[in-house]
Amino acid sequence: MLFVFIVVFCLAAPLWADHVAHTGPNQNHITDKVLVGGQLTDVVAPDGTPLGPGLRGRYLLGADQNGRDVMVRLMYGGRTSIYIGVLAAVITTLLAVTVGVLAGYYRGWIDSVLSRILDVVWAFPVLLLGIALGTTLALGGLRIGGIQIAGDSLWIPILIIGVVYVPYMARPIRGEVLALREKEFVEAAVAAGKGPLRIMIAELLPNIISTIIVFSALNIANNMLLESALSFLGAGVRPPNASWGTMIADGYQTIYTAPHLTIVPGLMIVLTVLSLNVFGDGLRDALDPRAQIRPGR
Amino acid sequence: MTNLRRAITILGITAITASGVTACGGTKSQTAGNSATAGKGADINVTMTSFPDYVDPQLSYTVEGWEVLWNTYVPLLTYRHQKGDPGTNVVPGLAKDMPEISPDGKTYKLTLRPNMKYSDGTPIKASDFTYAIKRLFKADSGGSVFYEDIVGATDFAEDKSDTISGIVADDASGDITITLDKPNGTFTNVLGLTFAAPVPPSTPIDKDATNNPPPSSGPFMISRVDAPNSLVMERNPQFKTVEDAGATEVTDAQVDKIIVTQNKNNSAQVTGVEQNTIDYMQSPPDADRLSEVKAKFSDRFRLENSINTYYFWMNNKTAPFNDVRVRQAINYAIDPEALNRVFGGRLHPTQQILPPGMPGYDEFKMYPGPNMDKAKQLLAEANPADKDITVWTDDEPDRKRIGEYYHDLLNELGFNAQLKVISGDVYFTTIGNTSTPDLDTGFADWFQDFPHPDDFFRPLLNGENILPTNNNNFSQVAIAANDTKMDELRTGQLTEEARKQYGELDKSYMEQAVWAPYGNEQFSTFVSERMNFDKVYYHLLFAHDYTSFALK
Amino acid sequence: MARFAVRRLAGMIAVLFAISVIVFLIFNVIPNSDPAARIAGKNANPALIARVRADLGLDQSLPVQYLTMMKQIFTGQLTSYASDQNVLQHIISGLPVTLSLCVGAALLWMVLAIWFGYLSAVHPGSFTDRSLTVLSLVGISLPVFWLAAILLYYFSFKVQVFPTGSYVPFTEDPLQWLYHLILPWITLAVLYVGFYSRVLRSNMLDVMNEDYVRTARAKGISERQVRLRHVLRNSMIPIVTLFGLDFGAVVGGGTILTETVFNLNGVGLYAGQAIGKLDLPPLMAVTMFGAFFIVLFNTIVDILYAFLDPRIRLGEEAPA
Repeated sequence: MLFVFIVVFCLAAPLWADHVAHTGPNQNHITDKVLVGGQLTDVVAPDGTPLGPGLRGRYLLGADQNGRDVMVRLMYGGRTSIYIGVLAAVITTLLAVTVGVLAGYYRGWIDSVLSRILDVVWAFPVLLLGIALGTTLALGGLRIGGIQIAGDSLWIPILIIGVVYVPYMARPIRGEVLALREKEFVEAAVAAGKGPLRIMIAELLPNIISTIIVFSALNIANNMLLESALSFLGAGVRPPNASWGTMIADGYQTIYTAPHLTIVPGLMIVLTVLSLNVFGDGLRDALDPRAQIRPGR
Repeated sequence: MTNLRRAITILGITAITASGVTACGGTKSQTAGNSATAGKGADINVTMTSFPDYVDPQLSYTVEGWEVLWNTYVPLLTYRHQKGDPGTNVVPGLAKDMPEISPDGKTYKLTLRPNMKYSDGTPIKASDFTYAIKRLFKADSGGSVFYEDIVGATDFAEDKSDTISGIVADDASGDITITLDKPNGTFTNVLGLTFAAPVPPSTPIDKDATNNPPPSSGPFMISRVDAPNSLVMERNPQFKTVEDAGATEVTDAQVDKIIVTQNKNNSAQVTGVEQNTIDYMQSPPDADRLSEVKAKFSDRFRLENSINTYYFWMNNKTAPFNDVRVRQAINYAIDPEALNRVFGGRLHPTQQILPPGMPGYDEFKMYPGPNMDKAKQLLAEANPADKDITVWTDDEPDRKRIGEYYHDLLNELGFNAQLKVISGDVYFTTIGNTSTPDLDTGFADWFQDFPHPDDFFRPLLNGENILPTNNNNFSQVAIAANDTKMDELRTGQLTEEARKQYGELDKSYMEQAVWAPYGNEQFSTFVSERMNFDKVYYHLLFAHDYTSFALK
Repeated sequence: MARFAVRRLAGMIAVLFAISVIVFLIFNVIPNSDPAARIAGKNANPALIARVRADLGLDQSLPVQYLTMMKQIFTGQLTSYASDQNVLQHIISGLPVTLSLCVGAALLWMVLAIWFGYLSAVHPGSFTDRSLTVLSLVGISLPVFWLAAILLYYFSFKVQVFPTGSYVPFTEDPLQWLYHLILPWITLAVLYVGFYSRVLRSNMLDVMNEDYVRTARAKGISERQVRLRHVLRNSMIPIVTLFGLDFGAVVGGGTILTETVFNLNGVGLYAGQAIGKLDLPPLMAVTMFGAFFIVLFNTIVDILYAFLDPRIRLGEEAPA
């Protein structure tokens, strides 16, 4: 599948950087010169115009305004974006499953409290929450108890995106658990004296696994879109690190003269997200045709 | 069945209500330079990437604000309306003559011209000047620091007194006498800033007047403000009274109306000026459109020199930059040409504090380069133990690119650098807060507030001015000998000898490599076809002079 | 019914309160964003800053500050730290722009979605269906701001058909208003068209197998009538509820990206700018405004559902 191919492509970034392009993703080469068609050309011309794409090892996709190799950045950026997308999905899944199962199983006041919390997070305009957290945490980093995370660490966007989407997954899971709870096999387990934890893990979880998987795939897709949006606005991945979102933001400055700097990273996002959506869709059709999954922003 | 109908009805109602709100609102227009709405030919459409911070003479402190306010509120003294150096000369404005300064340099005497009126017809009085200065303190203006030397000013600011004892104004005769604590060679300059422009006492004394600016004394008046989207300037019908009173140095408007609109998209502005839907854009075209504009529109585009310095500050107090060799190494390593390209070719390379055009400027090059070998050699000698550096910059596109370049350079030199990009609005207060951790090095620029070298040295390099907050001495430089020199030079006037001494001061600081300066940015003039390109000029202090706008 | 509605409304208020507290906390736990310092200007000294702090009430305890801010919001007196403007007025002046954008886009996406969904459902598996499905999937995979940038590039620069952005009020020039909004509408609509057309399609396919549809056919009603009067109508219900939720989300902050790229001075752009300046009052107000819309539409949808389906009123949860 396309997604796997893209992942492999991005993971190969260091290889490409070292052996083909001979430069790292953050290395500036503003005043360097490169052989283009036999002629020594500026990587960045005196008036600020960067080199365009061409068939060669270095600067395959041309350079950006800081003289960096776009192809190398694309691959490293992909690594970052996918990394964030997947890890955030892991966090969302863990939190959502916990909250959903607990709320659905125990009902009563636990359910009320958890549902209210979900409501509050749900009601928050997703992008605004992400930006607010992203901007403020980037300044000083995060300090919880003994754990300290630097402002420009990737964990900040990962945590934010992970938390923001929890209600989208937790609510359907809760709904399913509520329904499953009434079924006979759960009653039987309770009658047999199994503790709640065992019931949740052994009886409930296997039945919601399909939902979880489908949601996770689509969650990764949403996460990548959100990460790119946050990075574009300046509240996600911090410079000079590349992510597809920051590359679009950088490229947007020169969209009239070097449109490929904007188009290419965007296309990568589209392809990756598309392949995930197709995958998730197909999976859902196969497993549970009635589930409604909502796209994020 | 009924459910669907209900649903459609709800949808329909929502749509109609929303459209109703939409149609009702929006009388405050954001004209995109549509000539149909601009009215008759004498309406000029101006766009700015950032709206003026305040539309209030006592409060505004940005280039955009000063551009609008210079020709709207005339202080007692003003600057000559000419381009280049002559424009930095102080000349009489609302006052009859240049001030009479007492031999001890502490008393300034001026006389207000008689029979002048504001745009709403109220007479301009001498006590209005006092009122303006009072506003500076009561409205918490950033410019108030320039006037604290006035006797009784701080007492007034702290509410210990109802008046400023150091200003005596007689409305009948128009005489104004200002007494200072100590002589101050920059005071005439400071009297020429819009901070000191008289305003009628109907202006709220302690609040920003942006939404309802005071009546004006200059050739333009502000007829409508819709901050931060747009404002409209029109001819001041009462300006004649100022002209008739003899204020010949204050030029008159040549157009009837100027509509200023904010547009955050620089490229869209460029397209607008190219297609003549916008008459003038305040910011220079972005790097990637610059060559296109230069090539195709040279008949209405030119670059202008501006007085500013762009530099990297380095914290002289903490490792590794407390070692002069490390600082010198950076000066050797930086490649102004690379940074110039990041700016699209608009940076004039420099290696000193004062910029060209500033009195006292005398070109020299202490660290010819870029010379990576020399830099590495110096670093090897210094061998700093602490190699972790935090690099700061703000998030405007070109600043960000500069930060990324510098970050990469430091890494290449063997440091372990980390880049912090802070939003442009809070950047300077963040790095200006000495309690911010990890203030090692970063981006800064400084545009002159008035044409006197003290404006560069005092806030940026004087050891007394390492403030806990709103610090501008980011390098935290404190060289006692230079401080004394600075104070000494300020008590005098700006003579030939004084200028030379300021030049020496510049060299002295660069010997210590307190900064890594690299460029002076050029601005530009880019106007639409119908504007008279030859008449428009760029003033060294107040950017483009709106009284020079005229149609062909 | 009334009790249910009241309960829901109470819930709504509780949620809004929680959100306001969270937003306030987020912005007061940051270092280096002292608004007093920024307002006082570059050359400000500590005395000046202290004066400004006192003026803005920033030297009071946090709960007091919070209450002061809440009071200001409700009495419409909230002023921004950075620019001394009334936040409420600014939001109100930005509202027509945001609503123009949202309503227009919403109409566009609903019309297109229903049309596409219908086409797909009546010829399932056909070429039309497959290509529409692919288009839909692509549509929901596009980053909004990227699509906006690409559209701008191709249609206002390469081929100069549309303007580069900014907004012309309807009252000033309806044609220009329309002209300036077409690209933003398309941008915002693309994502939702994809999603809604597929939901409609799957709903319609489900409904087509229902008994009453077979009955209708058996009665001899034409196929077209069956589709329109029975299938489409019944498939629309979940769509309408989803629409309610999404429209709420779009108005409540979903427009930031589109407004930023197209330079439309709406509520979203205002929020984006306020965040960049760490200016709490506008952000607070816009977030409350956004949350209000989302929660409002959530509540309306819930109440509507309860009205339509008595089981829900009486205790079970509405499907999410």
